[in-house]
Amino acid sequence: MFKQSPIARTLLHLANLLGIAFLLLPLFAVAIGSIQSERSLQADTRAVFPREVTLDNFLVILSKGEQKGRIFEQVTYLPENIKQFYRALLNSTIIAISVTALTLCFGSMAAYGIARHPTRWTVWLLQANVVARFVPAIALMIPLYVVMRSLGQLNTLTGVIVAETGFLLPYAILILAPYFDSIPRELEEAARIDGCTRLGALVRIVLPLSTPGIAACGVIMFIISWHELLIPLILNARPEFMTLPVVIASLVGDVHVFFNMMMAICLLALLPTVILVVLLQRYVVEGLSAGAVKG
Amino acid sequence: MALDATAPRRAGKRRSPRREISAGAFAALMYLPTLVCLALVLAYPVLYAGYLSLHRVGLGQLRRGEFPFVGLENYARLIEDRLFWLALKNTFLFTGVTVGAEVVLGVAIALLINQTGIWTSRVTRLLILLPYAVPPIANGLIWSFIYSFQFGFLNRMLFSLGLIDAPINWSGNPHGALYAVTVPYIWRTLPFAILLVHAALQGIPRELHEAAAVDGATAWRRFWHITLPLLRPIIAIILILRTSFAFAVFEEILAITQGGPGDATWVAAWYSYKTAFAPPNNFGVGSASAYVLALLIGLLAIVYVRFVYRRVTL
Repeated sequence: MFKQSPIARTLLHLANLLGIAFLLLPLFAVAIGSIQSERSLQADTRAVFPREVTLDNFLVILSKGEQKGRIFEQVTYLPENIKQFYRALLNSTIIAISVTALTLCFGSMAAYGIARHPTRWTVWLLQANVVARFVPAIALMIPLYVVMRSLGQLNTLTGVIVAETGFLLPYAILILAPYFDSIPRELEEAARIDGCTRLGALVRIVLPLSTPGIAACGVIMFIISWHELLIPLILNARPEFMTLPVVIASLVGDVHVFFNMMMAICLLALLPTVILVVLLQRYVVEGLSAGAVKG
Repeated sequence: MALDATAPRRAGKRRSPRREISAGAFAALMYLPTLVCLALVLAYPVLYAGYLSLHRVGLGQLRRGEFPFVGLENYARLIEDRLFWLALKNTFLFTGVTVGAEVVLGVAIALLINQTGIWTSRVTRLLILLPYAVPPIANGLIWSFIYSFQFGFLNRMLFSLGLIDAPINWSGNPHGALYAVTVPYIWRTLPFAILLVHAALQGIPRELHEAAAVDGATAWRRFWHITLPLLRPIIAIILILRTSFAFAVFEEILAITQGGPGDATWVAAWYSYKTAFAPPNNFGVGSASAYVLALLIGLLAIVYVRFVYRRVTL
C-alpha cells in the first residue's frame, strides 16, 4: 500500500538489526560465558570470544560435581547447591507441573462459572480476581512464612505448590474466562436437552472446544511457576527442597563460583521455558493478551 | 465478547427430567476451590500482614508464638527510617524509567514488526517473545556478568569495537547503578508491551491510513493523529499493569546489585525482604513496609478495574 523510499527501508532494516542485537545480547552473553573456563575469562578481559571452548562447566553440573573435567581439576570446593542440580531440576518440574495442573483445574471451573452464570456476584468475583492479580508476592511472603512456619510446612514442596497455586489462580481465571465466553451456548444447551449434566456439559462440550485457551493458560502458568523465585526462596531454605531459581539465587555473592559456572547453570535453567515458548509461541501470545484486556 | 452481568439466566429456568442442582448453586460449587485458595493464600495473608505490622514480631517472638501488640510503632519506625524513604524514592525512579521506556519502545517496536514488507521485521517478530521465557533471576545473573567491571561482557564488546580504553563500572557506581538495573528489567518485560500494542495495531482499519494518505498526510502525521489516539486504551493498560509490577521489582536487584553499591539501589521490595529475612529479622516492620507497597499497588489495581479493564477489545 504505502511505498517506502529506499532510505526509509534502509533505516527500518537498521532499526531491526539494532532491536535484534539488543534482544539477543543476554542470550549471546550467557552462551559465550558458559563455554569457557575461569582462566580464559580472567586471562584476557578485553576479548569477546574465548580462545578455547570447553563444555566442562556443564559436565561438572550434570555429573553432580563428580567429573571435574580439565578446567576444574584443581578446584577442591564446589557449592553443595550445584551438586544438587538434579534435585533442583526435579523440584522445579514437580512444582511447575502441579501448579499448572491445579490452576488449570480450579481456574477452568471458576472461569466457567463466571462465564456461564453471570450474576452480580460472579462479576464481582471477576473483579476481585483482577485486583488479586496485582497483589505483590513480597506482601504475601512475610505472613505466609509465619503461617507455614507455625504449621510446620516450611521446606516442603506442598507448601510451595499451595502458595503458588493461590497466587496464580486469579491470572488463570482472567485468561480462561473469555475463552469459555466465546463458545456458543447453543452447543451446551443441545447437550443438556439430551440429558447431559451441568458438569458433563463442561467436561464433554466446553473443555474440548477450548483447548487453545487451555493450552495458552497452561503454558503461561508453567512458565510463571518455573520462574517463581520469592515463594520457594523464602519457604524452602534447605538444599533438598530448592528449585532451580533458588539455586541460582544462592550463587549470587558466592565467591567460589565464577561467571562461567553461573552462566552454565543459568543456561540450563532457561532452556526448558525458552524451548516451550519457541514451540508454543502462538498460545503464549494469545494467553498474554487475553489475560490483560478481555473479560 | 464481554461478560454481561445483565444477561438473562436461562439455564436456571430449564426444566430437567432429572433432579439437578440449580444454576446458581452449580456456579457457587464451581467457584468453591478457587474461593478456598484465594482465602487461604491471598486474603488471609494480606489481613495477617496487617495484623503482624501492628505487633512486635522477631525470631524470638516466632519461637514463643506470642506477638506483643505495639500499635503503630512499626509504621513510626518506617517513617523515621531514612533507608525506607530512599527505597521508596528509588522505586518511583525505577518505575518511571522502566515504564516510560517500555511504553515508548513497545509502541516503536510494535510498529516496526508490523512492517510485513521488511524481511528483517519478520525476523524481529519471531524473536520478540524470547525474553519472556528467561527466568528473572537468571536474567539478573546474566546481566551481572554483562555489567561486571573486570570481566564483563559489555566492556569486552566495547573494547573489541574500540569504543573504550578503560573498563566502565556499570552497576558498581552509586550514580548509575539504579539506571543500570533498569535495562535488564526493561529487556525482560518489553515483550508484553510489544505484544499488546502489536495486537491492537491489527485492529486499526487500513482505510483510515489510506484515506489520510490520499489527503496528503505524512507517515508521522498519520501516526500522531490516527494510530496513537487509537492505541490510547492499550497504552493505559500497559501503563497500569507495568507500573504495578515494576513497583515490586526484586529479582534483578537481588542478582545484580543486592541493593548496592552502598544503598544506591534499595527498592521497596528489597527493603521488606531485607528487614524481614535478614538479621535481625524484624517481621513486624517488614510487614508494615510490604503493606505500604501493597497499598500503593492496590490503588493502581482499583483504577485498572474501574476505568480500564474490559473497556478494550483486541
